[in-house]
Amino acid sequence: MARFNAVDVVLWAMRIAVVAVVVIGTAGTLIKGRYNAAQWFDFVMFGLTIGSIYAQIALGYTMVYGVLRLINFAHGDIVMTGAFAGYFIATPLDRSGFLESHPVLGMTAILVVAITVSTSIAVLTERIAYRPFRRVVGLAPLICAIGVSFFLEQTFRGMFGSAVKSYPEPQWERAAFHVLGFNVPRVDVLVIGLALVFMGVLYLIVQRTRMGTAMRAVAEDGEAAALMGIDVNKVVVFTFILGGAMAGIAGVFYAFVYKQVYFLMGFTPGIKAFGAAVLGGIGNIPGAMLGGFFLGMVESVGPTLFLDGIGIPAPYQLRDLIAFTLLIMVLIFRPQGLLGERMARRRA
Amino acid sequence: MNAILKLFAAAVLLAMAHTATAATVGPVTDDLGVIRIAKGAPIQIGGYWVLSGADTALGLDEKRGVEIAFKDVGGKVLGHPLKLNAEDDGCNAEGGQTAATKLAANPQTVVVLGPACSSAATPGAPILWQQGIVNICTACTAPALTASTRKPEYAGFARTVFSDSEQGKADATYVHNVAKAQSVVTVHDGSPYAQQLQQVFADNFKQLGGKILSQEAIAPTDVDMHPLLTRIASEKPDLIYFPVFTAAAAQIVRQAKDTPGLEKTTLMGGGSLLSADFIEAAGPSVVGFRIGYPDVSPEAMGKNYPKFVDEYKKAYNEAPISGYHANAYDGAMLAIKAIEKVAKEDKDGNLFIGKKALRDAVFATKFDGISGPIACDAYGECSQFKASVLEFTSSDPKTFGIGKNPKKIWP
Repeated sequence: MARFNAVDVVLWAMRIAVVAVVVIGTAGTLIKGRYNAAQWFDFVMFGLTIGSIYAQIALGYTMVYGVLRLINFAHGDIVMTGAFAGYFIATPLDRSGFLESHPVLGMTAILVVAITVSTSIAVLTERIAYRPFRRVVGLAPLICAIGVSFFLEQTFRGMFGSAVKSYPEPQWERAAFHVLGFNVPRVDVLVIGLALVFMGVLYLIVQRTRMGTAMRAVAEDGEAAALMGIDVNKVVVFTFILGGAMAGIAGVFYAFVYKQVYFLMGFTPGIKAFGAAVLGGIGNIPGAMLGGFFLGMVESVGPTLFLDGIGIPAPYQLRDLIAFTLLIMVLIFRPQGLLGERMARRRA
Repeated sequence: MNAILKLFAAAVLLAMAHTATAATVGPVTDDLGVIRIAKGAPIQIGGYWVLSGADTALGLDEKRGVEIAFKDVGGKVLGHPLKLNAEDDGCNAEGGQTAATKLAANPQTVVVLGPACSSAATPGAPILWQQGIVNICTACTAPALTASTRKPEYAGFARTVFSDSEQGKADATYVHNVAKAQSVVTVHDGSPYAQQLQQVFADNFKQLGGKILSQEAIAPTDVDMHPLLTRIASEKPDLIYFPVFTAAAAQIVRQAKDTPGLEKTTLMGGGSLLSADFIEAAGPSVVGFRIGYPDVSPEAMGKNYPKFVDEYKKAYNEAPISGYHANAYDGAMLAIKAIEKVAKEDKDGNLFIGKKALRDAVFATKFDGISGPIACDAYGECSQFKASVLEFTSSDPKTFGIGKNPKKIWP
């Protein structure tokens, strides 16, 4: 018969407490009936929107980790560079009226510029900062990544100032669809829809192309892949190109939804997306997507659903706590993350 | 064991070396120590404000107010040039702690001006006072800083800006009696400024017969306010009161417009939002947004205020970029007048300033400042308060001007 030690007892007590809060809180909130169906629908839409952005950022973390075993802490700041690049093209397009009259062309131009800038910076970061540390064992690459993060933040602060800049808000973006009595903001549909399309394309690239196959081979065993004739440097650069592109797209979407760009804007979503990547099973692409949506949904719905019912005042200040507590709970039950096992089995 | 004892003794000595102690230097004896300024050397005045990030305008405006005050006295006091050592505190506790530690570590720091944020002053002022350095705050308005119940480590803290106990009361009066709101939700960001101001507001609003539906909280870095606003919408408030800082407040102003149920709800913020940067951050939704603010219209200010504004425009090629420049100017003048009162010169032209004497002089000095009469009470509250409410009229940051955009709508 297995014996329980003190740590096991504490862990089980935590699990029971969290489950109790979730169950009792949810029941209490639903019984109170304070929110109508339209408001619950809104909570879900907000969660899916921010979740889709987290998912795109998380893909950058997870791909780089998969290939290099490096936590690229500067990835959130690559998102910021994309948002800034988008801002500098979106503002004149908005002022000239082009963005209003030609939304598809305007958005395409903004995304192309943002992706170009964020991808270029991601590739330069790899070449200048990370490649020299490729064979270094220990914490040096991680510290270098943190240094790159500060460098990018302070460079953009120096170049463009520290004030918050406002993203354009075209009329077409403010409109909403009305479906079955629910209000669906067009910008949310656009962001979620395009994010799913881009993530789908990325998944196909990784699964169905020669370069994607090479990426997966390097992720499995870099040295063996090199012996088989795969150019590992090329694969790593390609990984940073994909991650940088997703970061650029995420930066533009984030700025279009929340309307602000400033030099520190990448930090918080970067940390959360890293959490999402870990939650999904770091190194696993579908896992990063799932983790992003899970985190977004918990942040948006969690405080109201779990805490309203048990009378916790001002529950929204606890949303990060709720999200990361659930993240820890998932990792206690599944240390490899939600989809981490799939990769582990394949490797085995 | 010996090594541990030696280490402990060294730590005690180090702690003693870093605390203000009585001393006699030159012609001055003082309970907290004496600063000697060699002939011709500068009088070093510290400053800490938010000089980066979304709230830069708030701090930069005050730093400029101090610079103009220095200029107005000819850049010199008692024959010694004035030198401002300004630090960026980032408008947060960690920044305030770091900036205050750096200023306190300089044995030539005579007095410290600033900060703009109560979050920075709360940890900063005790660090400075531990070295016997007086801190004259130029915009931190949290009531606790000058409350009669404040702790002894704040004994060296004074401010030439009003307390939010006055601001919160005035805002509650306006919301209840003028805006005719009966139910309100407040939102704070956990900072001493926002937390205390909304609490004072809530207490006064309830006393007036209004109903506080809930007191919500966010993190200053929060971006997605939609879930919070949807929750607030379910309570159907007449008004949302959120005296938070630029980035978060701008998000609330923008996202409230899109939140079903809040289309007609009045939004009101606090004095931290009086800047062109806020207009830029909030975009078109800023039009009609109101903030509670001390009355800084020329008729409510001291008689020399218009002259100050002219100087400001000439020096920086723009009108004041935020609202606390006059308080900062008066803070600098208070420091200068106190130094003039207590500094003593020896026959070689060296200047000596007793730290406790300087603190007492700051608390005893009275004059007509450009923000109004300056006279400190026993707890360091030196400013007089006149209430007003301002409303933004345009989303173009270039139109920013106190009295124009935002314009005064009350009283």
